[in-house]
Amino acid sequence: MGKVLRSEFLKLRKSSIWLLIFISPVLATLAGLGQSVEDTPYKWEITLSAMSFLHALLFFPLLTGVFSAFVCRYEHLGGGWKQLLAMPVSRSNVYIAKFLIVISLLAITQVLFAGGLVLVGQLKGFEGALPWKMILTSAIGGWIASLPLVALQLFVSVAWSSFAAPLAINVVFTLPNILVVNSEQFGPYYPWAQPFLAMMPTTEESFGALNVPMETLMIVILGSLVLFFLSGFTYFQRKEI
Amino acid sequence: MSEFIIETNKLTKKFKNRYAVESVNLQIKKGEIYGFLGPNGAGKTTTIRMLLGLAKPTYGSIQIFGKDMKKEKLTVLKKVGSLVEYPSYYGHLTAYENLEAIRILLDAPKSRIDEVLSIVRLSNDAKRPVKGFSLGMKQRLGIAAALLGKPELLILDEPTNGLDPSGILEIRELIKSMPKEHGITILVSSHLLSEMDQMATQVGIITKGKMIFQDSIETLRQRSKSKIAIKVNETEQAWRMLLSKGIQAEMENKQIYLPHSSDEAISTVVEELIHNRFSVFRVQEEKKSLEDIFLELTSGEGSL
Repeated sequence: MGKVLRSEFLKLRKSSIWLLIFISPVLATLAGLGQSVEDTPYKWEITLSAMSFLHALLFFPLLTGVFSAFVCRYEHLGGGWKQLLAMPVSRSNVYIAKFLIVISLLAITQVLFAGGLVLVGQLKGFEGALPWKMILTSAIGGWIASLPLVALQLFVSVAWSSFAAPLAINVVFTLPNILVVNSEQFGPYYPWAQPFLAMMPTTEESFGALNVPMETLMIVILGSLVLFFLSGFTYFQRKEI
Repeated sequence: MSEFIIETNKLTKKFKNRYAVESVNLQIKKGEIYGFLGPNGAGKTTTIRMLLGLAKPTYGSIQIFGKDMKKEKLTVLKKVGSLVEYPSYYGHLTAYENLEAIRILLDAPKSRIDEVLSIVRLSNDAKRPVKGFSLGMKQRLGIAAALLGKPELLILDEPTNGLDPSGILEIRELIKSMPKEHGITILVSSHLLSEMDQMATQVGIITKGKMIFQDSIETLRQRSKSKIAIKVNETEQAWRMLLSKGIQAEMENKQIYLPHSSDEAISTVVEELIHNRFSVFRVQEEKKSLEDIFLELTSGEGSL
């Protein structure tokens, strides 16, 4: 397993994927800076909400697809699959390694996002201690909520040699987020909405699906993660190259 | 352990209603260069993909190094180097990094990268991104990758595809040197018999998914023995006359054919013909090329 990961990392290191990690946190930070928080006691919460609107509602779910498609792209492009799978490595390890790489990239993105939030707080001079609990819950929660999307997107990216098709699908399912998160009925069960629901700070005035307790979300997230991951994993085992 | 490095038993691959490979029994001994021949779409690549575990056989079994491919795939693949169809590469990496990504998986020593690069003469281009390589260079990089793990068996699918004549020659010499220098067994596929003629020791010919010939290249060459064709006036009478004299001959296309015979025998026949007042127009040797035999075996299909 270690070998496969090291090999994957080498292939990734020289690619342009690293730039994509920064885009969403940087844009979210700018949004955070632009958010007016003068006349509210909930400075951190409001800033986090503003940043999440851009990041968690749109860019983060899209990134799950971009990263998944990317780790498969160089295999599809140069006929890498047949070379890789004719090596003494098991298909399970290859698939798990790709999955781990994608979720690591997303984890780094979340760290940068959290860093962006702290930076906004420092620049604007928010009083009081840093609300670490809220920041970490948001960042880690959002990351966990993205795992089912990664599982699904990796499945699609492995199956289709096209780079654009999996991304198009992802965009089509991500855009309705804006409506879905407002729905108490569909919000909790819509995979693409989960990162946003998990990242928004819960306040008393929460709206729509944000009122759904964390436990429900976690069950939905874990359930869909297991379902999507096993489907993709089994498919890859049987795939004819 | 059986005497064969590769042995398949009734290997079959069915795609929906079509048999891509049907009941193929490959048998390849150690140290051979096995030329796997067939027109395009005959089932060569499908067979090779099954040998490498990239596709699952619908029916039949594969034994490599005497081990069942189904049960001991990873153990077998450790000692197999391969190049399937077109070379695989990561365009954004340099030649060296491409090999490094594979080396990590194979647990080979780092020094091996420089060794294989020099074998395929890419040492000077090692630091360049592969996307700028010509097809020939990519092909050579693919062969370097196949050699990286010091394999005992090399499976090369159309390794000279798309190469220029000097590239073809280079790859051919490289392949020929392998069994001698490193004791490697090689399975190399091609749709060109002439190419195999110059390197293979054993030949397997496949067409429409079925194996129609598998033997040494010498056996195939024997089929190309020459015949003597004689053109005369009144072919039929001449032919009957020769038969009545106890001379074996065949008549075809208004010509008389004699099996390959000595110079004296030919002169006797010609003498007989002239004595009997037939006009002899032409006496010529007709030799079938291996290419003709190949086309004959594959029923002239898929030529070009």
